[in-house]
Amino acid sequence: MRPETLHRAYALGRHCCLPAAMTAMAVLFPENGFATQMHQGSEGIITHQTGHLLFLFSMIVLIFTVTGKGLVREKGWRLIQVSAFFFALWNIDALAVHFLDNQIYAVKLELISFTDVRVMTNEDSPFLAYVYYFLKLDHILCVPAMFFLYRGLSCLLADEQKASEKEETE
Amino acid sequence: MTLSFIPILLIDVLGSVAMVILALLSLYKARKLRGMDPANAVFLYLMWISTGFTVFAVSRSFGHIVRQFLTLTGNGLAWQSISAYSGSVNTASFMLVGLITLFFNQSWKINEKILSGREKLETAHLKLMDLNQTLEQKVVERTERLTSSEHKCRRIFEQSLDTIIVADSGFKIQEINASGIELTGYNRDAMIMEEMTLGRFFQDPQEWERICAKINEEAYILNEEADFLRSDGKSVFVLITGGVDYGAFGCAKSYHFIIKNVNDKRNMERQIAQADKLAALGELSAGVAHEINNPLGIILGYTQLMLKEQSDFEDDLKIIEKHVKNCKTVVSDLLAFSRKGSLEMQPVEMNKIINDVIGFLSNHADFRNVDIHRTSGSDATFLVYGNEQELGQVVINLMINAAHAVKHSGQIDIETFKTERDQIFINVKDNGTGIRKKDIIKIFDPFFTTKPLGQGTGLGLSVGYGIIKRHGGIITVRNRSSSGAEFSIKLPAYSEENYI
Repeated sequence: MRPETLHRAYALGRHCCLPAAMTAMAVLFPENGFATQMHQGSEGIITHQTGHLLFLFSMIVLIFTVTGKGLVREKGWRLIQVSAFFFALWNIDALAVHFLDNQIYAVKLELISFTDVRVMTNEDSPFLAYVYYFLKLDHILCVPAMFFLYRGLSCLLADEQKASEKEETE
Repeated sequence: MTLSFIPILLIDVLGSVAMVILALLSLYKARKLRGMDPANAVFLYLMWISTGFTVFAVSRSFGHIVRQFLTLTGNGLAWQSISAYSGSVNTASFMLVGLITLFFNQSWKINEKILSGREKLETAHLKLMDLNQTLEQKVVERTERLTSSEHKCRRIFEQSLDTIIVADSGFKIQEINASGIELTGYNRDAMIMEEMTLGRFFQDPQEWERICAKINEEAYILNEEADFLRSDGKSVFVLITGGVDYGAFGCAKSYHFIIKNVNDKRNMERQIAQADKLAALGELSAGVAHEINNPLGIILGYTQLMLKEQSDFEDDLKIIEKHVKNCKTVVSDLLAFSRKGSLEMQPVEMNKIINDVIGFLSNHADFRNVDIHRTSGSDATFLVYGNEQELGQVVINLMINAAHAVKHSGQIDIETFKTERDQIFINVKDNGTGIRKKDIIKIFDPFFTTKPLGQGTGLGLSVGYGIIKRHGGIITVRNRSSSGAEFSIKLPAYSEENYI
């Protein structure tokens, strides 16, 4: 037999080996089948928190990337870096809030009236209540973050327009 | 612990609205930025991230506002039913933003590669532009030089007083300059259209064959002598120099010829040689004639004295007297030829002289069957300063020679005209047999004659030559293209200013 033919047969055997074995197992040793896995409990909050962690990680990466590439010399990128910093803070804030009320259930918020709200902590800790109360004001972090992103993009656009005008003049 | 809900509510609602507005503004800026340079990968990345933030802000703000509204309006259960969806979209949106953000580094690298590629492309483009410009400049310079060179060559070709001919490998004329057209007398277009060869101009085909063989063998010819035959039948003596161009840059083999018209030069040389020869002969003749003239006078005197007395030798004495008189005539002619004769010069009218001669000769037996045509250039008088008798003698000699040439039955044309340069021409043409080529150069030599022995002394033309020369003129001869010969006398016209 020619070496190429032998090599092709070997590769085919290797690729087909696992499916063939699994088929054989299913046929020879039958059991009850569970089509899809169930999702229940705290799976939702864990997913949400993972998303926040990813968002936080990406913002930290962006901060260091902007510095690493020397982009801080440009005002636009500096502002985007500040925006990333605020988003990172917002993510930490959100992680903390979700951790307290959705994961360990240490804090619970109950609306008493249109103007008042009751913050209930596990051990009636006023510190935790105040911390939670302020952490709930997360827009204080994400609005500036979005504002700095807008300003950063505006600066980059202005720089680009200036450069374009200069090129046209030359 | 009870705390105020107002700050939470206000910051939540207002912050959500602000987030949406700012996200949309950011998206707008990012889109504009990308519009500035669509090929920029970083700008594309910024647009993606702005889109992600907009989705995030809208979904989140929607959730927050709806939640606050439903909670405050006592529809907390309704919020419970939609909170899962809102939260899921919110989670997905900031996960999307996070993922996009992580691609920043890759986007940056891609952009750097694009920029680097663009820069290289621009550098290459600039280099190409530079090379192109240099090339264009060089092409312009070379073209200018070529044009200048072509212009010079063209000027040399067109302005040359010598004939320049370019012929193909079969000696067919491809190019000929103005001098060549003047020399040959043919039309340029006719020469090229009819594919005339250089050989057609040669009077002697064997001469052309010899020159062809030589140029093909040696690749050049230098100052080869030849007689060209013009379109009007006149012969022109030329010097030919030529070479072979074996062809380069895709050109076919060709021959280049420079042809110099030396007809006038040769004629002048011949005339000078003739003049020198005749001058020498004149001197010799003068000496001989002078020495013979006196003894002849004595012989004639004694003979005539003896004839006055009756004697038995009267007939013999008359024969002696006759031949001595003939000798005296020859001697007289020789003296006239050598300027030793008497000379009374005055302004004379050439037309009158010629007309008198014609009148005189028309009654002569030799001219009875000869048709004499007389033409005069204008009615003006053609005065020359000279001796009437001598000039008449020259014309008579020419007329008698012409009558002999036409064998006493033909046509003789006598033409007189005056040029703007105050030269008077007298042309005597006949339609006889013409003069043999070998005889032409000796025609003015004393004692040279083509007539049968005893019919001519061979002094008529040489005496005429001497007379015309003494009058400051020139006498020339040529064979006519049709038939016969043409004698041409050129004399300076008389004007008072010239002879005061």
